[in-house]
Amino acid sequence: MSTRIYPLYQRGGPQLRVFLPNFWMKLVRPQQEQPPNVVQFSCSIEMTKFDVKNYLEKIYGVKTVDVRTRIALGKTKRDLVNGYVVKEDDIKYAYAILPKDEVFKFPNLFPKEVEESQKQEEKSLEEAKKIYNQYVDRNKDRPNVPGWFSI
Amino acid sequence: MSIIRLKALRSLGPSRRCFSVGVQQEDEYVPVAQYPKILDTSYEAKQARKKEAKWKEIKDVKTVEEKQIKLNMPRYYGFKCYVFQEDKVPYNNLNLAQHITKTHLIPTRTLPEFYNDISVDGHLVAIKSQIEEALLIEYEGYKRNNTNLTEKQIEDALSSSIVKQLNRILINNLVEDNSHLLDTQVDYDARIEAFWYAGGMNPPLNVKKYRTGVEWRKHTEDDPVDRAIHYSGSPSVQLRNELPLPPIIPHSEASNPDFKVPFFKYDPRTVGTTTTHKHAANIAGYWPGEKYQFGLMSYHKRGHMLERNFGDEADAKEALHRQGILSSFGWLSAQANMLGFTTFNEITYPMVTQTVITDGQKFSFYLYQMNTILMNGDNYKENPLKNVCWAIPETELFEEIKDGKLVGFNDEVLKSLLKFYKNVPQERLGVNLRPYLAGEKIIANYSDDDKRNWLEREYKYLVSNRPRFKLDYEVYHWEKIYKIDHKTRPIEARRRPFELFVDPWKRTLDDRQPNYIPRKLRPDLPRHKGRYAKEYFP
Repeated sequence: MSTRIYPLYQRGGPQLRVFLPNFWMKLVRPQQEQPPNVVQFSCSIEMTKFDVKNYLEKIYGVKTVDVRTRIALGKTKRDLVNGYVVKEDDIKYAYAILPKDEVFKFPNLFPKEVEESQKQEEKSLEEAKKIYNQYVDRNKDRPNVPGWFSI
Repeated sequence: MSIIRLKALRSLGPSRRCFSVGVQQEDEYVPVAQYPKILDTSYEAKQARKKEAKWKEIKDVKTVEEKQIKLNMPRYYGFKCYVFQEDKVPYNNLNLAQHITKTHLIPTRTLPEFYNDISVDGHLVAIKSQIEEALLIEYEGYKRNNTNLTEKQIEDALSSSIVKQLNRILINNLVEDNSHLLDTQVDYDARIEAFWYAGGMNPPLNVKKYRTGVEWRKHTEDDPVDRAIHYSGSPSVQLRNELPLPPIIPHSEASNPDFKVPFFKYDPRTVGTTTTHKHAANIAGYWPGEKYQFGLMSYHKRGHMLERNFGDEADAKEALHRQGILSSFGWLSAQANMLGFTTFNEITYPMVTQTVITDGQKFSFYLYQMNTILMNGDNYKENPLKNVCWAIPETELFEEIKDGKLVGFNDEVLKSLLKFYKNVPQERLGVNLRPYLAGEKIIANYSDDDKRNWLEREYKYLVSNRPRFKLDYEVYHWEKIYKIDHKTRPIEARRRPFELFVDPWKRTLDDRQPNYIPRKLRPDLPRHKGRYAKEYFP
C-alpha cells in the first residue's frame, strides 16, 4: 500500500523493489493528561479517522470505540546562515479511544535499573577522563618523552 | 485662629472638615486596643478577595437583566466556553456531566417515596384509550414527507408530535381535578441555554505554560482551572407554573455525605467537548418578567441516540443519563438566573424539575432536585451541597403496533407520566423566592425610557449569541511565522494588537464607542457636547 511509482526496470537495477506503506502510526506521550482509555498517536497526515481505526484493529487487533484526529502546526526555525525561515512538516495526531473499562499506561522505556547502570557507566567514564587529563597535565612540559620515563 | 488656617480648613472640603473640628467623645477610648483585621497579603488571598468583591457586586445589582449584563461585562467577544449540547453526547461523558453539575445520580426502578401519595388509578382507563388512539394515528395515520431527512430528524419530528398529543390528552383529562394545570403554561420547542462555571479540572496546556513562565507562579502550575460551561438544548414540550414544585428531599438533606459525585479531573476536551467563544446566556424558555417562572416538567427528544454508533450498550444508557442530568440542570439553572441568582450567588432554596426523554415508545424518566449552583473554584470539594437526580431507565410504553392495534401497553409508564402531571406546585411558606432582586426587579419597571430601551437592546443582543458584525480578531498564519515566532520584519510599523502588547480577547464589554447622535437630533448644545448616546452598563 504505497503510492510510490515503481521505477522502470533497467539492466543492473534490482529485480524486485519493496516499498514501505504510506500509513504509519507512532505512539506518543500525550502533553495534556488524558483519561486512561485514551491513547495518543502521531500518524501519517493522509490517514483519516477510519484509517486509524482500521489500522489498529486489523494489524494489532486493538478495538477502538472512537477516534479523534487533529493536525498540529509544524515548528518553524530560522536558518542560522542565511536567515530565512524553514518549517517542519505538520503532524497529525490521532486519539484512539478504547472501551472505557480498558486502561492504557504509557510504557516506561527507561526503567530505574537501566538508568542506574547507565549512570554507573557514565561515572566510570568521567573517572577515566579525569585520570587521563591529570596524566596529560603532568606531562605537558616534557614533550616527546615516553610516559614510563619518570622519577 | 489665623486667616491662613481658616483658608486651609475651607480648602479641605466639607467631609474633611468634620474631622478637624471633631468634638472629643467620651467613648473614644476602649480598655482593650481594637485593631483592624490583619489581611493575608499573598497573591492567592488577594485574588480571592477581588473575586469575592466582584461576586458581591453582581449580587447587589437590582434587576435580572442587569445582572446578566453584569455577568458578561468582563468579555467583549464572550467567554471561552466548553459547549455541551443536549443532542450531542460523546463517548464516556457521564462522569464529566455529573462533575460539572455536582450531581449525585440515583438509578431506581420506581419513583421515589414522595410520589407514593399521588394516586392516579381513577384517570388511567379513560386516558389510556385516548392515548392509544393518538399513538396509532401518529404512527400510522399520517403520511409524512421524510425525503431529505436524516434518521434523527425523522425520529425527532415523530416523537415531538407524539409528545404534543400526549400532553394535550393528559392536560385535558386532568385539568378538571387538578386546578394547577389550568394555571400552567405550555411551551413548544423552547430554546434553553445555561451558563455556569465549573472548577476542579486540570489546567489546559496554555495556562500551564504561562504559569511555568513566571518564577513566582511555578508552584501553581497544576492548580485546577475553572471552566465556563455553556449548555444548550431544546425540549419538545415544557410546562411552567407560577409556583415551584415542592422539594423531594429537604434542603438540609442535600449535604448528606452519602451522596457521591464522581470527580472528573481531566480537561473536558479529552472526552470530546469542544470550545467556542460565547456570551453568558441564561434562557429558560421565557423572558424576565414572565409570570410563570417555575418549570414543572419537560419532554426531550432522543433522536441523537441513533447517530451514536460506539457499539457500547452500557454507554448508551449513560448517554441518556447525561442528557437527563444536563437538560434538567440546564433548565433549572436558567430558571434560577431568571430569579436573580447567578453562578456566583448561591440559590437559597432547592428547585425541582421532572424530565422525560422519549421517542414515543421508549420512555426514560428523570427527577432532578437542584440544591446548589455554586460549582466554581474549590466548591467541588468545599461546598457540601449536592444536586440529586433520580433516574428511571428506559421502559417501553407499548411493545409494537400489529394490525392497527397497540400490543403490550405498559400501564406503569403511563402512571409515572400521570404522577408527574399530578405533582402539585406549592407555595414555599416563609421563603423569599427572589432574595437578590430589589427595587424594580426587572428592567421593564424602569420609568426612564432611554435607560429601559438601552438595557433591553443590550440584554437581548447578548443572549441572542449572534456573532459580532465585524469579524473576530485573528492572528494570521504568516504573522505568527514572520512576526511573532521570528522577527523578520523589524522595520514595519507596529499596529497589530500582539505588537502593542494588547490581548483583544480580554477586551471588556464596555470597551467600545457609544452610539453616535447626529447633529440634527442633538439638543441645542455646544458642538463638541452630546455627540455620543448615554450608556447604562450596570
